[in-house]
Amino acid sequence: MTRNANLLDDLRFSLTPVENHLIDGYADGRVNRRDFLRHGSLLGLSLPFLGQVALAAGFGAAPSVAQANVQPGATIRVAGPAPEGAIDPVLSGNYGAILMFQQVGEFLCVDGPDLLLKPSLATSWKPNQDGTVWTFTLRKGVKFHSGGEMKADDVVATMDRLADPKNSSNALSVFKGILQKGGIRKVDDYTVEFHLDGPNGNFPYLVSSDNYNTIILPASYSGDFETTWDGTGSFRIEKFARNVGASFVRNDDYWGPKALPAKTEFTFFQDIQPQILALQAGQVDIINTLPALAGVALLSDPSFDIISIKSTANQAVHMHCQTGPFQDARVRQAVALSLDREKLVKGLMKGRAVAGNDSPFASIYPSTDPSVPQRKQDIQKAKELLKAAGFEKGLQATLTAPQALEIPAFAQLIQSWVKEIGLDLKLNIMDRGAFFGDAVPGKSPWLDAEMGIADWGHRGVPNVFLTALLTSTGPWNAAKFQNKEYDTLAKSYIASFDLDTQRENAGKIQRLLLQETPMLFSYFFDHLTAVKKGVVGVQPTAMGQLFLHGAGIS
Amino acid sequence: MSSFLARRFAYSLVTLFVLTLLVFFLGQVLPGNVGRAILGPFADQKAVEVLNHQLGVDRPLLVQYGAWIGRFLQGDMGQSYIYRAPVADFVIPALGHSLKLAAVAFLVVVPLGIAGGVVAALNINRPTDRIISLGGLSAAAIPEFVSGIVMVLIFGVWLRWLPISAAWPDGAGALTQLYYLILPAMPLVFVLFGYIARMTRAGMIEALDSDYTRTAVLKGLPWRQVIWRHVLRNALLPTITVVASQTGYLIGGLLVVETLFRYQGLGSLIYNAAKGKDFPMLEASVLIIGLTYAVATLIADLLYSWLNPRIRMDGGQ
Repeated sequence: MTRNANLLDDLRFSLTPVENHLIDGYADGRVNRRDFLRHGSLLGLSLPFLGQVALAAGFGAAPSVAQANVQPGATIRVAGPAPEGAIDPVLSGNYGAILMFQQVGEFLCVDGPDLLLKPSLATSWKPNQDGTVWTFTLRKGVKFHSGGEMKADDVVATMDRLADPKNSSNALSVFKGILQKGGIRKVDDYTVEFHLDGPNGNFPYLVSSDNYNTIILPASYSGDFETTWDGTGSFRIEKFARNVGASFVRNDDYWGPKALPAKTEFTFFQDIQPQILALQAGQVDIINTLPALAGVALLSDPSFDIISIKSTANQAVHMHCQTGPFQDARVRQAVALSLDREKLVKGLMKGRAVAGNDSPFASIYPSTDPSVPQRKQDIQKAKELLKAAGFEKGLQATLTAPQALEIPAFAQLIQSWVKEIGLDLKLNIMDRGAFFGDAVPGKSPWLDAEMGIADWGHRGVPNVFLTALLTSTGPWNAAKFQNKEYDTLAKSYIASFDLDTQRENAGKIQRLLLQETPMLFSYFFDHLTAVKKGVVGVQPTAMGQLFLHGAGIS
Repeated sequence: MSSFLARRFAYSLVTLFVLTLLVFFLGQVLPGNVGRAILGPFADQKAVEVLNHQLGVDRPLLVQYGAWIGRFLQGDMGQSYIYRAPVADFVIPALGHSLKLAAVAFLVVVPLGIAGGVVAALNINRPTDRIISLGGLSAAAIPEFVSGIVMVLIFGVWLRWLPISAAWPDGAGALTQLYYLILPAMPLVFVLFGYIARMTRAGMIEALDSDYTRTAVLKGLPWRQVIWRHVLRNALLPTITVVASQTGYLIGGLLVVETLFRYQGLGSLIYNAAKGKDFPMLEASVLIIGLTYAVATLIADLLYSWLNPRIRMDGGQ
């Protein structure tokens, strides 16, 4: 393909310097196609436009998604976790509830499997020059299931509700320090501005499906979601039975192409094993979230397809940096060097993960600096570090972890590896609820342990990992990591919104965290969805949502 | 008999009151708080505090308990914290479900266990006895989730004869409900068969060796009559105690079976309420089980006195 300079100039004419900088990076090879598309979508550039730029730059069009021959009108049956308590998009943060309200609700934009932001109820978005104000243009002609048109007032009310501490909003932990009640302003019926507390280069992700509570509800919403189920989505509620299941039917007033299935049926389960049995018995078509270790029987079963989505979900290990043996960074590094990440990925996670490099920067983030060397197992060096730290004769510590997913097995592997370097690690595995406790220091084994493992869900951008887990004032800083240089770098990363600057800051953070090693990010595991052969068009997200708009029987 | 019943009723009331105190105050030892359980470990602390205040769980414990027991005594089970709906809407259907499953399991396992025990005792130290005793013991030792999964794999996944979920469709009749309860009842039958058969066997052996049995045989009564009227009647006394003592387990202790078969019984309701520190739900559920247990024990005592006239003559002591 040859470059069409005239077309490229035409396309760049109305763009901002940040957007042009991204195109420069793509044209001269510093930014690959994947990162170009992801970051372009973050800046509010549409996928067709990005495709045109790619063509003009001589790289060919953006890849199109192959459409299977899907028969409309099917009933798709899904096994999913039971919602824990009442379903309320403002309060709920459990996977069961998230899956339910996402079936009828929609977001301003959707974070897709490749971290590409796609327009949904917003058609476009733009930052101001310093990234403190983001302006979203809303789609016209969108109707709530109750009949009213979705307009700016609904978006303002939804976001205000979520940012208001008086509402016990689950999204408050994401918005805190970024967006306050009153910061969302209506410009006209179809334009909304978000005035942020400070510059934020990744803000659109925080009002996307990535922040699962942000489905747009009517301005009049009063907490009665289980009665109204009022959203704008392509399915509307048919029936909901607590702890049993729910069914949804096609919304014929949907603003976009109508959903292919006539009906979707969700069956609630308390555990993964019965879900696997139900799929094997032919009583459901899909298991929305399949843990690799528990679902190993399905991974190689030819009767089922496994949809594997790269995610940034991880089982981070923290080490207390202020007291005990882990005060010394050399001890923390030694622990990190004892881990065999290849075995974790291939053995523990059955190949459904990628190795981490002891920072939240997973390789799928466009801003991750790929030039930072990957940490690998080096027992000899680990022993030397322990010797230099004065632990030549060995040391003892306790690893506290929740009974969840593959964490107990992961803890046992850590125990056996650190034994080789002279660290006698005792395991304290406990119920997940007991582990998190009150989730405040002094009342939480998670935040009080000298060494612990916590399970972290996927995030489309690393902001929450960088701030809440690792900054000096982070509420989830179980490692008690206090580093002013890091705090400044994290702030700079969050404020930057051109890819080169983000990557530069990311590189500095990655190197600093490798040096300090307050936490071990050993692997980032894929989100797995098991689907019966012949069922196609299923679109899960790494957040645990499931889009069945285009699903059917092939 | 009436004074016996009155005394038992009074004991039961005191027991249930103590139960409410134990559940409420020991439950406070559980880690976490209601707001945190609803919003999750990663919710903002401010949001948790606001929710706890809205729910009233930041008040002193005695005030909370007093408010709850006051409403309960007026017939109001209260509102569930985590579901934000009346507790009665959950507890009563769950009790119905649990009773149905327990009834199906009882109807199968009690006659089967007693018959097994009788056959084993009549064939003491023969291969039949060994097969029943060892088989029953082995079955009881298999955890419910293991036997449950095996049953599901055989009858649900491979043969596809039975539904693997116990959640029957809306409007299902009694026979359909029974069909859906066959698989979940199987692990319970495995667990209980051994106990009941062993108790019956032991009682039978003792009764067969007694003077009154010898007298009955020497009187020339037919063997069948000796077994039915003299041996079995006495041999069943300890078995009744075992069966009654399993009521609490069958009504509220079937968490594993309920989870495996997606059954909406009291076991999973209690587990989720304890996890979420949903005390109105927890208290009501535990009280219901306590009440069921008290009634079952009372029925066992009445059966005892019917089978053993000496108890009646002693005034129910």
